[in-house]
Amino acid sequence: MTAYYAQLLVNGIIAGSIYAMFAVGLAMVYGVFKFINFSHGELITWGAYLTLMFSSPPFSLPVYISIVPALLITVGIGLAQDRFVYRPLRQSNPIAILIASIGLSYMLRNGIRLCWGSDLHTFDLPLSTGILLGGVYITKIQILMMLSALLFFCILYFLLTRTLLGKSLRAVSDNIELSAIMGINMKKVTWTIWVLASVFAGSGGILLALDTSLDPMMGMNSLIKAFAAVLLGGAGNVWGALIGGLFIGIAENLSVAFISPDYKDFISYALIFILLLFKPRGFFGIAGGVR
Amino acid sequence: MKKFIFNSITVLFLISTGSVIAGEISVGSVTPLTGKLAVYGEGFQQAMLLAADEINAAGGIKGNNLKIVFEDNNSTSKGSVSAIRKLITIDKLPLIFGPASSSNFLAVCPIAQDNKTILLAAESAAAAITKCGSYVFRVFPSDLLQGVGVAELTNSLGYKEVVLTYVNNDWGVGLAEVFKAEFTASGGKIIDELPHGEGKTDYRSEILRMKRHNPKAIVNLTYIKEGATILKQAYETGLNVQWLMGSASKSPKLIDLAGKASEGVIGTYPTFSQETPQYKTFKAGWEKKYPGKKTPVFGEYNYDMVKLTALALESAASDSSDDIRDALIKVSQGYIGTTGDKSFDESGDVNASYGRWTIKDGSITDYK
Repeated sequence: MTAYYAQLLVNGIIAGSIYAMFAVGLAMVYGVFKFINFSHGELITWGAYLTLMFSSPPFSLPVYISIVPALLITVGIGLAQDRFVYRPLRQSNPIAILIASIGLSYMLRNGIRLCWGSDLHTFDLPLSTGILLGGVYITKIQILMMLSALLFFCILYFLLTRTLLGKSLRAVSDNIELSAIMGINMKKVTWTIWVLASVFAGSGGILLALDTSLDPMMGMNSLIKAFAAVLLGGAGNVWGALIGGLFIGIAENLSVAFISPDYKDFISYALIFILLLFKPRGFFGIAGGVR
Repeated sequence: MKKFIFNSITVLFLISTGSVIAGEISVGSVTPLTGKLAVYGEGFQQAMLLAADEINAAGGIKGNNLKIVFEDNNSTSKGSVSAIRKLITIDKLPLIFGPASSSNFLAVCPIAQDNKTILLAAESAAAAITKCGSYVFRVFPSDLLQGVGVAELTNSLGYKEVVLTYVNNDWGVGLAEVFKAEFTASGGKIIDELPHGEGKTDYRSEILRMKRHNPKAIVNLTYIKEGATILKQAYETGLNVQWLMGSASKSPKLIDLAGKASEGVIGTYPTFSQETPQYKTFKAGWEKKYPGKKTPVFGEYNYDMVKLTALALESAASDSSDDIRDALIKVSQGYIGTTGDKSFDESGDVNASYGRWTIKDGSITDYK
């Protein structure tokens, strides 16, 4: 019986680390540009599909190599989103940007359908039984998922606290006008945010696809969880997003012990409602900004 | 020139109002002759024409020749709707053979029912068709019957306690209800029962729940994609059980997606004996008319549908659709066609017998 709950907990941590990777980009973009990027989910999907493309004919690269060009193109998509849609709209009203991001999300998702169809795809990885650790099964991909999330967040921590770029990023999110007056290179900061958001989303998408499979809706479905994580952590708070993601992953997986598994998404949606009603700034969103 | 045009119009008029021409009785057919189902549509058409030829060679219907007016639906629901509207309003036909694929068939059901036109299906399995109405019949067994088929399979393999999981939609829930009723009535016990969402990519929580009870067998009523994902993730989490499935997952695609995790799955599918005299007659007729061609998918069902229709038209009191409908129900009782007993029940469905499939060495074979 303990093995059962331990397995639920491990499943929760795995799911949570991926949610956190999706949430961090969303939180950063919100922290600096003050809008919710609905097309963030599509960076997840494109990352995964591009890896599939480079690992199948005519490219036929090994999966671990295909990740490189796939992530580069995903970053390109992220930067293009900003250059061609969000930057021209930056001074217009927030609703316009919101609607634009929803439109962009549809466009990118249907682009996936156009190129690869709506059918389910999988990476042809050899199937093997997971490793048994103290009654808990865990696959190699799942271990990789947790390690990647850990590594990514460590790098992010050093970037934000130990480098000038990171410090200017945090300054910009505190006050964008003042930072510009103080001579912070806004172009570089904007660029960094989109690169980080795209790399986190794209890598998370690839890992998720390796663990399960690919379909055009995978980004959209994960985005809802990422929203919940961001709300929980406090909009704009990177560390809040990490803890929020883990919390949601663990909560919904532990809920399986009590409610039918098919309704476990209920937990993340219920959390969104409760938080918006009682704690609209999240648990860590005391001061906002990228921290 | 003018005379030529006038004559052409007259001829066209005569052709298009086929049911009026003396010596011919016409019925309609909405068939996918173009589009993605065209590969099957051609076979359906050939099987129907074979049956019509045999009927006409044997003296036709009340001395008249049976004629099938084919209308293409471009394999789409939209095309099916326009095709059936033409057959009902312009050709004024009392009986129409419906289009393949359940969604196309369901699109035309209400139109036929509202216009009191008899609609027959030869290859649509969706359970929802049962509720289409009193003018809708099918010679193909409903998916719901599979619930019974899987229960019989479970019993005969000696599993008294199983975990039941099914795809969480109308089809899955309906199928699970039938299975449960049948299985518990025969003394079986369902240890746990859980729905799984359609189209999800992660079923690990569901699998964990199934595993909790250490079942020997799991009945999994689902589609191909969902089935493959569950089999794969169950394999990864070390769940080693006998999987029992229906015919909706019987596809080489299941093996493509799940690989070796699909080995040993046992399932049921609707089938019929190829040893009956009826089947042999069909086979001989087919080889004579289309030498060197393989019998098409569902060809036998299409053949039976036309044969049964001819019997109904023969014994109908008039050519009104109500009379034909009464006659159709009557002649179907105890009628043994190529695909077995075609007696319509009160909702226009037929019974079926089930075969068994299993996956062995990466391919689907009959389970013995």
